[in-house]
Amino acid sequence: MTVPTRARPRARTVATAPPARGRRWRRHRPRTFYLFASPWLLGFVLLTLFPLGYALALSFTNYDGFSPRWGFVGLRNYETAFTDPDTWSSLLRTLVFVVVVVPATIAVGLFLAALVNQRVRLRGVFRAIFFLPVVVPPVASAFVFRMLFDRDSGAATWLLAFFDQGPVEWLVDEKALVVLLLMIMWRVGSSMVISLAGLQGVPRELGEAAAIDGAGPWKTFTRVTLPVMSPVLFFQLVIGVIETFQIYLPALLLASAGQASLNASPGEGLYFYMVHVYSEAFANGNLGYASALLWLLTAVTVGYTAVMFRATRKLVYYESGPGGREEAP
Amino acid sequence: MMTRMAGRLRRAGIYAVLVVCAGLFLLPLFWLLTIALKGPGELQAFPPHVLPEVLRWDNFTKALTYVDFLGYARNSVIIAVLYSGLVTLSSAMVGFALARLPAPGKRAVFAVLIGSLMIPHIITLIPTYLLFSKVGLLNTYWPWVLWGLSGSSFLAFLFRQFFAGLPTELEDAAIMDGCGYFRAFWQIFLPLAKPALATSFVLSFVWIWGDWVMPVLLLDDDRSTLAVAVGSLYTSPNSGPLFHLIAAAAVMYSLPVLVLFLFLQRLFIRGIATTGMR
Repeated sequence: MTVPTRARPRARTVATAPPARGRRWRRHRPRTFYLFASPWLLGFVLLTLFPLGYALALSFTNYDGFSPRWGFVGLRNYETAFTDPDTWSSLLRTLVFVVVVVPATIAVGLFLAALVNQRVRLRGVFRAIFFLPVVVPPVASAFVFRMLFDRDSGAATWLLAFFDQGPVEWLVDEKALVVLLLMIMWRVGSSMVISLAGLQGVPRELGEAAAIDGAGPWKTFTRVTLPVMSPVLFFQLVIGVIETFQIYLPALLLASAGQASLNASPGEGLYFYMVHVYSEAFANGNLGYASALLWLLTAVTVGYTAVMFRATRKLVYYESGPGGREEAP
Repeated sequence: MMTRMAGRLRRAGIYAVLVVCAGLFLLPLFWLLTIALKGPGELQAFPPHVLPEVLRWDNFTKALTYVDFLGYARNSVIIAVLYSGLVTLSSAMVGFALARLPAPGKRAVFAVLIGSLMIPHIITLIPTYLLFSKVGLLNTYWPWVLWGLSGSSFLAFLFRQFFAGLPTELEDAAIMDGCGYFRAFWQIFLPLAKPALATSFVLSFVWIWGDWVMPVLLLDDDRSTLAVAVGSLYTSPNSGPLFHLIAAAAVMYSLPVLVLFLFLQRLFIRGIATTGMR
């Protein structure tokens, strides 16, 4: 899905025709291409494909990282994955979170993009402020949100005290999801920037034509701007679902700010699928089982990507390609 | 007359929304700063103090010495510069090849590259960790060198977009001058790509600076980075995490990348808008 979205507009401008007098070069080109691409190709094989294959092999064993006596267990890890209640509950929690976070991020990002795309003073400053949290290191932002929602000293408690409400234990059960949601939404600036590039790629004549035809600003936005921007939004949807499905670090760091460790479990409320994988791998030492869980996730991700790739041809409007993404710096 | 009034109202409404949103976005940073300036006892006060009673600037000097802050900062800088420099160079090479060098199988390579954007680091990390431990690379900076050398799909895509936008006459000129592709890349294309190079370096620098999971997996605490130090080392055996020191350390840890962003906003925004990398 992102393949045509991003590649298509550029494909036209790629220098496919060799320069007229480049006979000497032309002979060397195929080899040259692979020489230039070799660092990435080698790296992809050694640091992505090989580990994935290694994990696949491990997923059929009961390897635990220490014990010398381990062996082939066939599909038992996969059977366990399907019967393990923790797998299902973490999967459900992850799905619910994805369904809330991804549309919310895209919507708020688009809203902010539309705001800072207006001709207002200081819009550069506002853009910078909205983007700033994206740059804050995750360890620091998790700590801040943990402190904002601290039971005793948090800003949330201070606000509640105004309404004569007592302190709330935010970071235990399901309430922690709210804190995590806000923490993720704080970084909405990256989505804003992508949507802003999309907005700026909408040809002005289109809006003017709509205005001449008597469409108001809202109608112009929903009938002209949104359809033209749909590839940009669709791209965010696909990437956002994949990324959020693998949410792990923000949950871990939020739950254990100040005492973060890979062995720590963030507790029931934030027990996502990847948290399950990592706690099986590092807290329980079930590397074989964790590898099986990783492979199930990879398979689902690939399947989802393929489905979205098909769907994009029907759902998304393409004519001149997605506006802002093709701008060359 | 009516439309003018409506226009003014609309404008005022936009400003109001902008200011409220800006306040919400800055609130967490403000809160971090207030904690960094509070005394240890103040964090237990109820109802909470918004502003510290006394500004405790010595929290910052304490945070510098409670753990070896500067040592961790040095490790962070070494890893970030090593990785960002290497990854920028190798991604530029791949991006150049994809944009400028036709070859059989190139479409397939590009498809694999785009597909690999869908495989996040966190999935391959457990098996990669096992591999690195097998070949004895734990507690060294070699993994970052290898990751850097192998480039990043996001950044390769960024460079591809950049190089594809340059005019074809560049190759003609290079051929006229009689230089091969490697010299053309080094002496003509790479110098032209300064904005993309800067974008790539800065994006990867900020990413590695913020990364917590790779150093915590691969490095012992004393060789680790600031992310790990801020994330887990400011604890006292008696009273648990020392929040006011963590806050002060977090401020000092975040400051370099925030300043980098404020000076180089354009690069960040363009980089993210092109690649979708977050």
